[in-house]
Amino acid sequence: MIRAGRLADTLIGLVPIALILLAWQAVHSAGLAPPALLPSPAAVFTRLAQQLGSPAYLEHAAATLYRLFAGFGLALAVGVALGVAATGSRAVGAVTGPIVRVLAPVPKIALYPAFILTLGFDDASKIAAVFVDAVFPILIATRQGTAVVEPKLAWSARAAGVSPARCLVTVVLPAALPSVLTGARIGLVISCIVVFLAEMITSTDGLGHLLVRAARNFQTVDMFVPLITISLLGLTLNAAFNALRARLLRGFPEES
Amino acid sequence: MTRLPGIPGLAPLVAFAGLLAGWEVAARGIGIDGLPPASRALAEVPGILADPESLINIGASLYRMALGFALGVAVAVPVGLMMGRSRHVAAFFNPLLMVIYPVPKAALMPIIMLWLGVGDASKTLVIFLGVSLPVVYHSYQGGRAVEEKMLWSAAAMGMGAPARLLRIVLPAALPEILVGCRTGLVLALITMVTSEMIARQSGVGNILFNSLDMAQYDTVYAMIVIIGVLGLALDAAFERLRAALVGWAEPSQALMVGTT
Amino acid sequence: MIAIDAVSKEFETKGGRRHLAIDDIGLAVADGEFVSILGPSGCGKSTLLYIVGGFVPPSRGSVTVGGKPVTGPGPDRGPVFQEFALFPWKTVLGNVMYGLQQQGVGRTQARERARALLAMVHLEGYESFYPKELSGGMKQRVAIARTLAYRPSILLMDEPFGALDAHTRTRLQNDLTEIWERDRKTVLFVTHSVEEAVFLSDRVVVMTRSPGRIKEIVTIDLPRPRDRVTLLLERRYQDHVVAIERMMDAQE
Repeated sequence: MIRAGRLADTLIGLVPIALILLAWQAVHSAGLAPPALLPSPAAVFTRLAQQLGSPAYLEHAAATLYRLFAGFGLALAVGVALGVAATGSRAVGAVTGPIVRVLAPVPKIALYPAFILTLGFDDASKIAAVFVDAVFPILIATRQGTAVVEPKLAWSARAAGVSPARCLVTVVLPAALPSVLTGARIGLVISCIVVFLAEMITSTDGLGHLLVRAARNFQTVDMFVPLITISLLGLTLNAAFNALRARLLRGFPEES
Repeated sequence: MTRLPGIPGLAPLVAFAGLLAGWEVAARGIGIDGLPPASRALAEVPGILADPESLINIGASLYRMALGFALGVAVAVPVGLMMGRSRHVAAFFNPLLMVIYPVPKAALMPIIMLWLGVGDASKTLVIFLGVSLPVVYHSYQGGRAVEEKMLWSAAAMGMGAPARLLRIVLPAALPEILVGCRTGLVLALITMVTSEMIARQSGVGNILFNSLDMAQYDTVYAMIVIIGVLGLALDAAFERLRAALVGWAEPSQALMVGTT
Repeated sequence: MIAIDAVSKEFETKGGRRHLAIDDIGLAVADGEFVSILGPSGCGKSTLLYIVGGFVPPSRGSVTVGGKPVTGPGPDRGPVFQEFALFPWKTVLGNVMYGLQQQGVGRTQARERARALLAMVHLEGYESFYPKELSGGMKQRVAIARTLAYRPSILLMDEPFGALDAHTRTRLQNDLTEIWERDRKTVLFVTHSVEEAVFLSDRVVVMTRSPGRIKEIVTIDLPRPRDRVTLLLERRYQDHVVAIERMMDAQE
C-alpha cells in the first residue's frame, strides 16, 4: 500500500514538470516566441547532452565544483567547530552569539566585492563568498543542536571519567548530528547558489561565467544549459547527502 | 546565562561595534590590500545618503523588493498551506520545488531580461521567485503540523473546507509562516542586490559595482555597510512584528534558510 | 563510603524566585550497602543523587566519597538513569565499550569485557543492534552493562525501572539483586515504589515532600539472598511495606 502510494505521489509530482515542458514546447511550436527568445526544449536538451560530453564544458563544471566544495568544506569545519565550542564554553558562546545575530541577516553576497578587492579575482574570493554564506546555517544548527542534547548523555560519559572537552567531541557532537546535518544541507544548497552567482558577477570560467557569456552573445540555448546543470548538480548533491545522512543517522529514531 | 543585564539588544550592539573595531584594526594594523579602515568607509555613508540620485536608486530598489515580497507571500502562503493539508497537493509541488531550489533565482535575470526587458518587471519577478520558496516551505511545515483534532472539532461544528483553511489552519500555522516570511525578507534583499549586480542598470547593487569599476573603494565598503545595516534593520523590524502577532507562540528558533 | 553532610539545593525558578528542592540532608552509606531513597515525586530525591554523582553542585553542604570531597563526576560512581541515556549512534556493544575505550583500554580487551557484561545482563546476540531496536527493558540492561563496564565501586540508580512495564520491572529487580549479591557494590537507589525499595535494600531513606528532608530511615532486616516469592509471604516484609506506606500517607 505504502509502496503504491509512493509511486502515485511520484507520478503526481512529475505532472507539473511535464506541464511546464509541454507549455514550453507549445509556445515554441505555435511560434508565439522567436527562438532567439525561447529556444525549443529539444534544442536545449540536445545541447545539454552535447555539453555534458564535452571536456571544455566539464572543465568549467569542475572549476565550479572545486570552489563549491572548498568553500563548503571550510564552512563545515569552521561552523561545526565554532558551534560546538560555543556550547562547550560560556566565553565562546558569549562572543559568537551576538556576532552571529548581527551577521546572519546581512545579505552576505554584498560582501563579494570586498572579497574581490582583498583576495583578487581568482578562486580565493569566490571560495570566501561561498564560505561566509554557508557557515552561518551550519554554525547556528550546530550551536542549537548541541545546546539541547540530553544532559544525561553527557553525564553518562563524564561518569566514565571522560574529560569535558572529550565529552563534547565524543558525545555532544554525535548526539547533535541530526541538527548538524540539517544545517549542513542548507549550507550545501547555499554553496551551490553562491558559487554560481559569484561566477556570474566576475569570472573567466565556471558555469556561472558560461551563462553570462552566452547572455552577452545572445546565445539563448547556451543560457539554459548552465542553469539546468546547476539544478541537476543540486539534485545530485542533495541525493548523495540524503544517502550519507541515512547512513550516519541509522541509530537515531526516525523523524517525519 | 550570558545575558547582559538590563538593556535588551545591547549584546548585538556591542558585537556590531566590535566587528567595526576589528575591521579598523585589521585595516590599519595588518594593512590588507584593498581593505580601507572602517572609519574611512563610514565617512562615505553620509555622502551617499545625502545624494538624491543614490537615494532614488535605493528607493527604487526597496520598492521592487517590497512588491516582490508582497506578491511572493500572497502566492506562497496559500500554496504552502494547501500542501500541508493535502498529501496530493504536496506530492504535486514537491519535485518541482526540489528542481527549482538549487537554482540561483538571480541567475534567471539574463533570461527573464530577454523576455521582460531590463526594467522593474524582471527584477520584481526574480525577487518574487526568491521569496516564494522559503515561504512555501515554512507554510507547508506549519500547515502539516496543525493538530488534526482541532480540524475535526471545526468540521463537527459544520465548518467547510475553505473556511477551515482560513480560520483554523492559517492562524495555527502563523508562527511557522512568519518564520518563512522572515527568511523570505532576507532573501528578497539578497535577490534584490544580486539581480542588480547582474543586470547593472539601477539600484543598490548597481552603485556597489559601479564604484568597484571606478575604483572608489571607500564607496564600495560604505555600500556594503549600508546593505548590511538594511538587512539588520529589516530583520529586526520583522522580528518585532512577528513577536507582536504571535507572542503566544514559542520564540523563533528556526534556522535562517540562506540565500538565493 | 559515601558521606552526605548537610546538603541543600536551591533552584532559581523562571520568575526569579528561589525554590528549595532539598533541605539539610545528612546521610552516611557504608561500603557494600544498598540504600534506597524513597519519596513522592518532586521531593528532590533525584537531585540528591545527581549531587552525589557530581553532576549538579549543592547550594550548601558537601559530599565526600571515600574521604574525598566530590567536585565532579568520576568513574568511582556509575549512574543508571530512568531515561537510559544510551548513545543512539552507537551499537549495543559500542555503548558498553565506550567508557573502557575512553579510559585507554585496548579495543580487543574492551570488546571482550563488553561481551562478558552483555552476557551477564542476558543480552547475548544483541551486540550489533542499535538502541532504538531494543525494548525498554533491554535498553536498561545495556545501560547497566555500560556503567558496570568501567567498574565503579558505587552505583547511582535514578528510578532505573520507572519507565518499564510491571513484568519487566520485576525481572530486572531480580537480576539486579542477583548481580548485587554477587559483588556487593555500594548502591544508592532512587525510587517511588515502596515494594521495590524494601525488596532491594538494606536501608530505606524516606523523604518528605517539597522541600525534601529525611523523614525516617528504616533498616530492612530481611535475610539474603532474597527471593521474591518467599519474601512476599514473609511477615516482616509485609510489615515493612505497610509501615512505610503509612509513613508516606501521613504526609498527604
